[in-house]
Amino acid sequence: MKSLFTCTIALATTLSSVAAEVSDSVIRVTTTLQGYNPSQPWDKTIPRKKCALAAVLSNQQVLTTAEIVTNANFIQLESSNSEHQIPAEVVAIDYETNLALLRPKSEEGSQTLKNFTPLDVTHSAHLGDEVSIIQIEDNGMPLITEGKVRGFDVVSSFAPGHHFLNYKIKASMQSVANSFTVPVLKKGKLLGLLTSYSSKDQLANVISAEIITAFLKDAKDGDYQGFPSLGIATTSTTDVHFRDWLKLSNDKGGLYVSRVLSNSAADKAGIKKGDVLTSINGKDLDRRGYYETSGYGQLLWNHLIRGSHPVGSEIKIGVLREGKELDLTAVLARSPEGIIPSHTYGKAPRYLVKGGLIFQELTKSYLQSFGDNWSTRASPKMLDALNHPEDYEEGRKRLVFISAAIPTPATVGYESVRSAIVKEVNGQSIEDIPSLIAAFNNTPENGIHTLKLDSRLETIYLDAKLSNNVDQQLLSRGIPALSREVE
Amino acid sequence: MKILLTCAAILTGTLGAQEAVQQLTVPQSISNAAAANASIYKSVIRIEVASQVPDYKTPWNAGRFSDGTGTGFLIGKNQFMTNAHVVSNSRRILITMHGSSRKHPARVVHVAHDCDLALLELEDFSPFADLPYLEIGEIPQLESEVRVIGYPMGGERIAVTRGVVSRIDFLPYAHSRADSHLVVQIDAAINPGNSGGPVLQNGKVAGVAFQGLTMADNTGYIIPTPVIKRFLKDIEDGSYDSYVDLGIYDFALFNPAMRKVFNLGPNDPGVLISNVMVGGSASSVLEAGDILTALDGYSVDSSSNVTIAGERVNMNEIIERKFAGDKVKVDFIRDGKKLTKEIELKAFPSAKIFSVQYDKKPRYLIQGGLVLQPLNPNLYSAHKLNNPRVLRLFNDYLQEGLYKERKDILILTRVLDDPINSALSSYVGSAVKAINGTNITDIEQAHALLNPDTMPEFFEITLDGIDRPLILPSKGLAEANARIGTNYGVHKTNNLSN
Repeated sequence: MKSLFTCTIALATTLSSVAAEVSDSVIRVTTTLQGYNPSQPWDKTIPRKKCALAAVLSNQQVLTTAEIVTNANFIQLESSNSEHQIPAEVVAIDYETNLALLRPKSEEGSQTLKNFTPLDVTHSAHLGDEVSIIQIEDNGMPLITEGKVRGFDVVSSFAPGHHFLNYKIKASMQSVANSFTVPVLKKGKLLGLLTSYSSKDQLANVISAEIITAFLKDAKDGDYQGFPSLGIATTSTTDVHFRDWLKLSNDKGGLYVSRVLSNSAADKAGIKKGDVLTSINGKDLDRRGYYETSGYGQLLWNHLIRGSHPVGSEIKIGVLREGKELDLTAVLARSPEGIIPSHTYGKAPRYLVKGGLIFQELTKSYLQSFGDNWSTRASPKMLDALNHPEDYEEGRKRLVFISAAIPTPATVGYESVRSAIVKEVNGQSIEDIPSLIAAFNNTPENGIHTLKLDSRLETIYLDAKLSNNVDQQLLSRGIPALSREVE
Repeated sequence: MKILLTCAAILTGTLGAQEAVQQLTVPQSISNAAAANASIYKSVIRIEVASQVPDYKTPWNAGRFSDGTGTGFLIGKNQFMTNAHVVSNSRRILITMHGSSRKHPARVVHVAHDCDLALLELEDFSPFADLPYLEIGEIPQLESEVRVIGYPMGGERIAVTRGVVSRIDFLPYAHSRADSHLVVQIDAAINPGNSGGPVLQNGKVAGVAFQGLTMADNTGYIIPTPVIKRFLKDIEDGSYDSYVDLGIYDFALFNPAMRKVFNLGPNDPGVLISNVMVGGSASSVLEAGDILTALDGYSVDSSSNVTIAGERVNMNEIIERKFAGDKVKVDFIRDGKKLTKEIELKAFPSAKIFSVQYDKKPRYLIQGGLVLQPLNPNLYSAHKLNNPRVLRLFNDYLQEGLYKERKDILILTRVLDDPINSALSSYVGSAVKAINGTNITDIEQAHALLNPDTMPEFFEITLDGIDRPLILPSKGLAEANARIGTNYGVHKTNNLSN
């Protein structure tokens, strides 16, 4: 009994000394976030607060997750004992990997950060590595949880559909702050940022050191590019009859290329729909798209493109086309955005209100505002456009549609006109909100705007003078601006 | 709030019938009134129906056996009128007279699912030969009183309620879900079992009780006499031909800018024709963008209403009363010019894709365990389809003229798992666009494409909105079909027509 007691004391001593060190390298981040109301895009939503942790790096910069600072109006760093409160700003943010680099807004703040001990980022992880997960309790005391690296996976951490290398850490954590952005250290160096934890499985997802290193490297020159993408959609070749049809022999793996985005790296490299992607930089892909790594087991192919090389790198792509092997070279680039952006974090929706008709650009977040069953409740045409934007391109940059009609004297009878895609206004093709605004500025001689829609009713009209009067009334009734041209 | 129209059928597959007892305007004496009522009651019969409802989830199966009750009434020699929904999918019909417990076998002579009416006959009419026939009267006036007679839930014997006519309108009929006709709303409840029963006024039939509203009180709907009379006239030639249709969509001209563009003053008549269906009655006469100002000389207002006999009703009322081959005179404005033309009316069968199917065996085909079925409301609700591309095809079927090339929209509704198709179940719910490069037009053609005389090495099945083809090898296909048939109890691999 007594010896045990002593032992505990001894351990506590060690921990407190470790704690003293790490509390100099970790800082609290509190943010106030505000998005936009999807149906009334001129309004901001009710502000929300978030708090999390960040790792202090060299150059008085700190690293946290993108989700903590997405749409943030206000960012503040706070030392664990609350002695220092430092207003901060974003240096670089990447919603796809879920990383954000912050710095103090003022010189005074930078001076304060100099008293912290910056963390270096480690290079990689190994199965079984012992790691320390750093949380800060409300009283300012560091809480350190020991864990072990249990595996590696290529997963999406924040923006859906964007997959990057994460570590799986086995640990028994307790809930301390209300957010899971928690630095993880290995031998005193930053191994990653923990973004989610399952108490049932006692497993945590940690954004990997490799991705963090690439992010920091990109952010260094102040001109952040982002991670590259090949620009293809693929399906597995596990279906044996599909394989026979593709003339894939049993010793071959590979992914079927089901779609190639135009102007993407893949498009420029000559990859075509129907090709089978068999290798990337000499690494063979299996039927599900996994490849064998040294040390990380099997990883999804995306890591070879998105997580291993910066924009501008050349990579070798092996494809099978009509049974013949081809070697192609792709120059990695950012993915073309397409007419419906994959996410709208940190952007204000563009819109125009004309005579009470509300025009917007279609985004997934707009459709998601229809609630839990948005994928069945939103208009089928809008959902179809989201799933198959290539069928709606027709020279557009964005898909402009009428989201609603505010009841006004100018919109009488147009109550049913909604979720209608706008094709032309006053004879001009509409490619985005700025072009719509320009088209309305050309008032025809008869004083009536003509709108061509992709809907059951193909043409509607707006009285220019009446619309302008209505718009002035809408302004006086509290709509702050009739349009937003810049995202 | 979504208001649900429900057929007044007793659940568990039954129909409700409602009858209205004739209201005696000035009863001479109580006993006279009672005697008159008693003879009317005799002519109002209880209908028991055993039905077999096809299962669109497993179309090769026999379906669900169920039963229900409704009401009907005698309108002529061995002619009993009731609702179509009372006798839909029926396998056995038994008629019981008021005050008797004997059950008389009956059969359907004519059924009109688009206006929810049916005519039955007894195998042996002699026990009913002395009963009076109920006479079909006129549309009741607003606020006048009617009586509903029938055999609703809550007891075995005949039940009578009274109500006041609260509204006359043009509304959807819940039975087919795709047809709208004239409807009279009354404030007497129409309950399950009332369906098919007479609604009486001054001793004559003013309507047939047929549906209610789930989210409102004291709203019962009856099929008024113009609809009944049209049905009876349609079947005079021995078969029911269904309604005719102009084949247009209209858009109400309320907007001031719209009116200015079309040069219409505030009180000028006319509604905008927004779409004209290719192959519809109006297709060679009207064009999208025309302003329809009059039908058969009745002035059409900006929201497509006309005034007939002092009542403002939807302009479709004029078309409703006509038959295939009849003509309608249209006055319209095109590019500022007033024109008058005649349109010969016909039915528009392509619109039936939106009607709920009854009395039909579901069509389907199975090849290599892939179950393909044509899209209709039955399929839609059975499989809870939610693929946006399929919804769009369905929505745009008429408007974008898809029916011209694609009579059936074939849906992959199920994959009966087998080594031949083991990787394909995630594609369930999509529409089949092409087979080996040939676009699908209908189920017969799809069946022919999947069962050619010379088998290709592979069937390449292209789905709408899916970027990879589904592959079925012909090698081993026959064995797989036999295996699937045995394992899944599929005794018949297709039903191509109904």
